Amino acid sequence: MKRTYSIAIILVILGMVFGITLALKPAQAAEPIIIKVGSPTPLSGPAGPWGQIGIPPSQTWLDLFNKEGFKVGNKTYNFQLINVDDMNTPEGGAAAAKKLIYEDKVKFIVSHWSWNFPSVSAVANQAKVIYLCRTGNEAVPGGVYDPKKQPYTVFANPSHEQFISDIFAIAEAFPNYKRIGINDSTLGKGIGWDYVDRELDKAKIRYHHEWYPPGTQDFAPYITRYNEAGCDIIYGAGDVMAAMLITKQRWEMGFKTWRTGTSGGILDPMMYIGVSGMEASQGFMGQYFANWDFKKTKVDPKKIKRCQEVMEIVSKKQGKPYTYTAWIGWFPHHIEILTQAMQKAGTVDDPDAIMKAIRGGTFDTTIGKFTMSGAKTYGSPIVFGTPGCMSQIKGNKEVYLSEHPLTNLP
Amino acid sequence: MMPFIDYKNMVPKIVIGLLIFAIVLVPVITTNVATLSMLILSGLLAIAVMGFTLVLRTGQFSLGQSAFLAIGGYTSAILTVKLSLPFWPSFLVAGMVSGIVAMLVGMVVLRVGNIYFSIITLALSEIVRIIAQQWEPVTRGTRGLITSPPPPVVLGGFEINFAASPVPYFYLTVCLVAATGLIFWKLGESRMGRSFAGIALNPVLAEHQGIHLMKYRVIAFTVAGVFTGLAGSLYTHFLSVITPYLFGLWQSIQIMIMSIVGGISSLAGGPIIGAVLLYTLGDYLARLETYGIQPLLFGAAVMLVLIFLPKGTGLVDLWERFWRKVVWREEEYEPDTSDD
Amino acid sequence: MPPAGIWIDGLIQSCIYMTMAFGMVLVFSILGILNWAHGQFYMFGAIVVYYTITAWGIPFPISILISGLLMAGLGISVRKLVIDRVKGDLYVGVATISLIFFFEGAASMLFGMQDRGLSTVLPGVINLASFSISYQKVAVLFFTLVVLVAMYIVLNFTKVGLAIRATAQQPDAASLYGVSVGRLSLIVMGIGCGLAAMAGSIMAPVYAVNPFMGRIPMIMSLLAIVIGGIGSLTGAIAGGLMLGFLNSVIAYYLSYLSEVVLFLLVIFILLVRPQGLFGASLK
Repeated sequence: MKRTYSIAIILVILGMVFGITLALKPAQAAEPIIIKVGSPTPLSGPAGPWGQIGIPPSQTWLDLFNKEGFKVGNKTYNFQLINVDDMNTPEGGAAAAKKLIYEDKVKFIVSHWSWNFPSVSAVANQAKVIYLCRTGNEAVPGGVYDPKKQPYTVFANPSHEQFISDIFAIAEAFPNYKRIGINDSTLGKGIGWDYVDRELDKAKIRYHHEWYPPGTQDFAPYITRYNEAGCDIIYGAGDVMAAMLITKQRWEMGFKTWRTGTSGGILDPMMYIGVSGMEASQGFMGQYFANWDFKKTKVDPKKIKRCQEVMEIVSKKQGKPYTYTAWIGWFPHHIEILTQAMQKAGTVDDPDAIMKAIRGGTFDTTIGKFTMSGAKTYGSPIVFGTPGCMSQIKGNKEVYLSEHPLTNLP
Repeated sequence: MMPFIDYKNMVPKIVIGLLIFAIVLVPVITTNVATLSMLILSGLLAIAVMGFTLVLRTGQFSLGQSAFLAIGGYTSAILTVKLSLPFWPSFLVAGMVSGIVAMLVGMVVLRVGNIYFSIITLALSEIVRIIAQQWEPVTRGTRGLITSPPPPVVLGGFEINFAASPVPYFYLTVCLVAATGLIFWKLGESRMGRSFAGIALNPVLAEHQGIHLMKYRVIAFTVAGVFTGLAGSLYTHFLSVITPYLFGLWQSIQIMIMSIVGGISSLAGGPIIGAVLLYTLGDYLARLETYGIQPLLFGAAVMLVLIFLPKGTGLVDLWERFWRKVVWREEEYEPDTSDD
Repeated sequence: MPPAGIWIDGLIQSCIYMTMAFGMVLVFSILGILNWAHGQFYMFGAIVVYYTITAWGIPFPISILISGLLMAGLGISVRKLVIDRVKGDLYVGVATISLIFFFEGAASMLFGMQDRGLSTVLPGVINLASFSISYQKVAVLFFTLVVLVAMYIVLNFTKVGLAIRATAQQPDAASLYGVSVGRLSLIVMGIGCGLAAMAGSIMAPVYAVNPFMGRIPMIMSLLAIVIGGIGSLTGAIAGGLMLGFLNSVIAYYLSYLSEVVLFLLVIFILLVRPQGLFGASLK
């Protein structure tokens, strides 16, 4: 009798322990729900290389991000990135946006390397799809952007403000400069530059503008004009070919002390060295988004680590060191904003609620922590600042040069 | 006696009828936005191509069709966006303005010979683009203008909403293409049309017969300009945006290729075939992932078509030749032409 | 008065436009059509030189000759395979335009779309009193001089040159005199394309190499021909010379408006004197 009794008690205790363990075991993680994000990017044509180079690291970063996933409410979500070639033309942009929205049914559009703000924005806003973008000439006060007509647009990388920050960073790196020569192709001419000029004037920067027809290869006339205007730094607005040729030709014309550079990340130092020559390209400046080198902008170490991991993975995959860093300021940064906004709004489906969370919200991303601003300048606080961090070519490599930290816009 | 059924002439007409029926039904079969967009854009280009072919009828190569698309587009955009005028009047005004410009330019430029006219019109395409780019107060330069689709139209109880889907736009394009095609075809068959052809073949003889060369050339050029301008207006409103770099000399060249490949003997069918086929080909190829393969295959395709087309014809003539040679087993009568 | 550097720069531009225009007119006068893909041979010339120098280390002058010969061969094949099979002037024009796309596509696939440079070829600069000029640009000058002299000698003092000039003026009469017009036109096509290719080769180190670099030289040589007179070899040279200087000087004074001014100038010339400076009678 006593033996049966003890066995029974042991069984009951075992049963209880077993039962408690079962109850405490976390519920089987549900498959994360996938949210589709579309990106119209130039993948073909002359702008193709710049669109293509950002895809491997962005996808790799997204894979790492998705391993963790993010939670809204009590559901876990992952993102899926769909790239569509927009051929860097307005029709291509509109077509790419329409395909993404109506065929691929994306929830958001992120677009960093495109001139296509007007057409993509028109399509996205019509469909109530939130559109995070860099801006161009178009989206400034007086420009094509109208906060009432385009309530779903967010300037995650305001390129004008970025350019202005770059100039400040350059001026701080070379305090004894005489004059900064700014250049751009006529493709980029427009009211946007008035805005830039006003900000530069406010900070008492000395500068001089030149515009050239797209496709120009002979910059001797322009370099001569720069010389006559007293410039000793030439910074372009993004045409890499022009920047390389100006670098080469100014060296050949004898202006060896001038610094040159162009906005947009340095794709690969060897390319510039190949075209302009080793000596001429020393000191060439570009935008630098290697957040592990940031000195004045604080970035969450976890995010830094992930970016460095991505650089390693991509280098290994392509068999040679991958040095381009500008992707860090675009795709991951856009995703972080979206993620945090959705978490704040508590929903993934309501674009109006998400936009409400974005406007004036504070976000912690791969390029720092910032509060959306720009209510006065843009009519709505939907602008993320940007660290104007510059790099230069030293030897064969790209190294940190200077930085002008994120600032809030009025 | 067996009733004589005129197969030769009836079959093409039946086929055309079926095609028209099929076209009207396209939006029923597919509401795929990309496909419809493609058809709409190629249809609008077809109108510009018809303009080119019409001017070619008088013996002149107008490489300036892109300029008229731009003028029509910008006029319509400026009127609706900056002056807030309603869509339909702007649309018509766009055509008118384009036609007036064509007339003025034509009166000055059509005097000079063939190839010089071509080069001048080519330059014109570029100049219009450059003006659009530089004349900022009006056109906002490279930033472009954002246009909206035509407002909803109420027809007998049904509301046609252009913004919701491209289907109404498709039908609108089809209407315009059909209207232009019919008008051009009638023009070609008419007395004036035959005067055009006469001017092209032998200007001296035409003059001797009392045909005023310049008058007819300018008329052709102006009519082409008007309809191309209308197409340009629809083009802008469909794309929702207009920027200078949509146009330019390469677009004019594209239009020329479409006309020639489609067949210059036909004023309506040829351009439509040329435009739709080549545009679709280009679009399809653009989806291929390898970079560079699109222009490569496109160029190769056009060259192959040109190599295999018999002398002096375009794709549109293939049907008739097929019917004659294969079905009727007619022998080709080719006059002894001298080798050049 | 623009500084000396601008004039030198204009001279270099002229050299290239002259060479390209000359080749284009040569082809035009024998074949009767404008080869729209002329600029693509320029581009291929640069690409061939890029590979021979970087991949095989062949010295620059020999590379130029190789690219000239190769592209002459390509030109002849294009002539036989495409142009001869397409009937009618109209269609040949369209065919050569499609060649532009074909070649650009092929080059994009082979070469990639990124710009690459040849800055290691002939590096260094000569510093003169009021301006500097790179060795690469001096090479361009030298090359053009050689080409012009060679062409002059060939056209005026050799049998082949005589045959070319005769055929350009009167093909039927020339064939009566025993000139094989068919074979000659092939040779001329080869020379024209070879010239374009060598122009591209010599310019490759000066700027950058990419598949689309042929477009602007093609348009410029077209403008040069118009200014000089379509169908005239002397016109091509004169036109190229003028265009090069005009381009640089106008860009110096008016920067980006040079585009507009050049087009307006061409239109003006066509309206006022369609046959250009040296052109033959009105077509």
